[in-house]
Amino acid sequence: MPVSPAHASADDPRVTLDRELGVFEPVPPYPPRTEREAEFYTLGDGEMFINMGPQHPSTHGVLRVVLKLDGEKVVDLDPVLGYLHRGVEKLCENADYHQAICYTDPLEYVSSLFNEWAPVLAFEKLMDVQVPRRAEYIRVLSSELNRIASHALFLGWMALDLGGLTPILWSFIERDEIVDMLASLTGQRMLFNYFRIGGVNGDLNHEFMSRLGDWMSKATEQIDSGNALLNENEIFVRRMRGLGTIDTATALRMVMTGPNLRATGVPFDIRRAHPYSVFPELEFDIPTRSEGDCLARYLLRMDEIKQSLRIIDQCLHHMPDGPVMAKLPRLMRPRPGRAYAAVEGPRGQYSTYAMSDGTDQPFRMRIHDPSFIHLQSVGLMMPGHLIADTMAIMASLDPIMGGVDK
Amino acid sequence: MTVVNRSWNRLSLPGKIIFTALPVMIVLAFATVLGIILLGGPVLDLLSHNLPVVRFVVAVTIVLLMTVPTAFLIIYMEMKIIALMNLRIGPDRVGPAGSLLSVVHGLKVLMKEDFTPTGADPIVFTWAPVVTYLASVMTLLVIPFAPGIFGQDLNLGLLYFFAIGGLSVVGLLMAGWSSYNKYSLLGGLRSAAQVVSYEIPLTLSVVGLILLAGTMSLNQIAQQQSGWFTDWFVFRQPLGFLIFFIAATAEANRTPFDLTEADSEIVAGFATEYSGMRFGFFFFAEYVNVFIISALTVTLFLGAWNAPFQWPWQVTVNLDPGALGIELLILFAVVPLILTLAFAAPIWMLGGARVKGWMALLGGFILANLALGAIVVGIAYIGFEWVSGLLWFLGKTYVLVFTFVWMRGTLPRVRIDQLMDFAWKWLLPASLLNLFVTAAAIVVFESVKAS
Repeated sequence: MPVSPAHASADDPRVTLDRELGVFEPVPPYPPRTEREAEFYTLGDGEMFINMGPQHPSTHGVLRVVLKLDGEKVVDLDPVLGYLHRGVEKLCENADYHQAICYTDPLEYVSSLFNEWAPVLAFEKLMDVQVPRRAEYIRVLSSELNRIASHALFLGWMALDLGGLTPILWSFIERDEIVDMLASLTGQRMLFNYFRIGGVNGDLNHEFMSRLGDWMSKATEQIDSGNALLNENEIFVRRMRGLGTIDTATALRMVMTGPNLRATGVPFDIRRAHPYSVFPELEFDIPTRSEGDCLARYLLRMDEIKQSLRIIDQCLHHMPDGPVMAKLPRLMRPRPGRAYAAVEGPRGQYSTYAMSDGTDQPFRMRIHDPSFIHLQSVGLMMPGHLIADTMAIMASLDPIMGGVDK
Repeated sequence: MTVVNRSWNRLSLPGKIIFTALPVMIVLAFATVLGIILLGGPVLDLLSHNLPVVRFVVAVTIVLLMTVPTAFLIIYMEMKIIALMNLRIGPDRVGPAGSLLSVVHGLKVLMKEDFTPTGADPIVFTWAPVVTYLASVMTLLVIPFAPGIFGQDLNLGLLYFFAIGGLSVVGLLMAGWSSYNKYSLLGGLRSAAQVVSYEIPLTLSVVGLILLAGTMSLNQIAQQQSGWFTDWFVFRQPLGFLIFFIAATAEANRTPFDLTEADSEIVAGFATEYSGMRFGFFFFAEYVNVFIISALTVTLFLGAWNAPFQWPWQVTVNLDPGALGIELLILFAVVPLILTLAFAAPIWMLGGARVKGWMALLGGFILANLALGAIVVGIAYIGFEWVSGLLWFLGKTYVLVFTFVWMRGTLPRVRIDQLMDFAWKWLLPASLLNLFVTAAAIVVFESVKAS
């Protein structure tokens, strides 16, 4: 049998394929392009590469991580992104302002409403649109529901990556109830496409309200029962405590936002720091924790669920009457200019920077996504931990690959 | 000839099989009869002179045959119980309440492609599942299921169990090494480290029990626990029981110690590259292991086949069918009929218009059979020691199996360093302490008794 040289895989040039043995080696076939690459792809004594993903049972989405292992210990790692790249920003530039919103929906598919909210806010700034107060309240109400759904799912994945089978299914119950509720409001279960420039698409309806009432009456109990399975579990707590610790200075240097930053002790929440919508009128706390480890990030999200329930309660009490959509022309041509808007999502700061050149399409649209930012710090957290913890650390940052690769 | 051909072609497949097999079977029957007439005496003599060998062969056959349904049952239990814990429905399509799903899974595994990856060592790769499976099946031979029902009563039964049970790790290591996959290798090494570490507290935790019992024969250990449930060794060796149960969980690679096949970390561990029936062997071995570990725990600590209580009065049933004579005939001919009618009548009367006559009769028939079955089992329970023993033994074993499944549904997985810490820093000292205290107590009691 003739010996064929190692050649590059067609879909990923960094995977070399040894044809004779049929074995993937995660070493790129070309000479190293940077110093970092040269350093990473040189094996020390007793070290080996292991290719985790993109088809691994527990990478969140299609992420590939090349791990450099010394036995079970992770020495270094190299995340390889781009398996889910769809060019959303470019797509948005070729759609008009209304159409652009639905392209942003599937970015972080677990929390679609926040993906819509950031561009909608930016476009409204660009066009000087005044949103009716009822629409603002509905936006807050529905997005906080979405935040709870996202955090509930986080709980499940976290436990699943540590080997617990049950919490994921319990949290899917939570998520399913919320998603059904939002489906009756928006017409979609996952990619809601509900927010519009100048309001929302459709008023609150009877089915939504009755489902919401049903769920609110048992939500606290249901969430607490899910938490009790993990919070008092010695194995779970012991594995999570002190894992993937990151201090405040590093977190700020890595531009972390959202729960991951608040878990290091910084009470930064865009809803309070740079208020938008009707958040100044609502009462809620910003929970923080000082440890900065996986357990802190997990517990912080559980605290946030309770705050979200508070916000939902207030929204329902203060919901004003009136229209849900501002009166706007169908084709919108904003004056040339730039606008930036940020919202606090379940993973951190979602923001959009939109440039208008006077046509009905955004000239440039930049989407800032927290998952991408948080995935950077994985390289600081993982080395020194064991291979079993890589997935736990990844899960505690809660990245969604749809948002990372855009 | 054409007529014969045409007739043959018109036969259906079962018909063809029957027509082919019938003459063969007739010849075989004649041959058997002839063989028995000619050779029966010498063969029977040979067998009766080598009863232990016959017994052993029969025991091995039965054990090999019983592992598969046992594994099927435990797999179904796990699927269904974990589903209920997860608030799912679980299997509900194949068979009543989905109970045949694991059988169908077994068939599916048989039909799948048996794939050997390039670069794998084919011989080691092929034999690894066999080693693992045989190691777990062979340990079943020494387990006493009931008085008189056991494969072999070794006087070093416990030692045999640990020695053979420890062999299964060789299979896992072979699988991990030969797959030519880094995940498999990690899984194999993990299993080696884990099983070797937990073998020590597992063995040490029962040394105290061996001191108390004075024997390593599982049959004799079982006999020593007869009487009330307070005579069970779990009450004399509570720490030993706890250590044994934890270490046994780790030995069987069950949650929370299922690091060897941790799917969120190393894909499927040693079984990553396996498919088809080779994977099926690993899968069966795992569930047979669960059964064996539970059975051994029951044998050692939870009173083996003994009931937890004694009847306060003497109950005996005289089971001599010959003495019953005509009454037996009446019993079997008339009683089912009367019982069927007796059960059918209230169903028919109370059921209303929707219940037709045949439904009532069918219901009555089923109920009558259940009642008769209960009566027969009850009589057998009182009349035969091995029936009651088997029922108690299997009952206790499946309670423990349920505990394993329950743990799988509840607990997350420990990390490898925590696992090692736990074995060497906690379980090993605790088992040594248990051994020391037991030995000291025995010495003290003996001296007190002597004085």
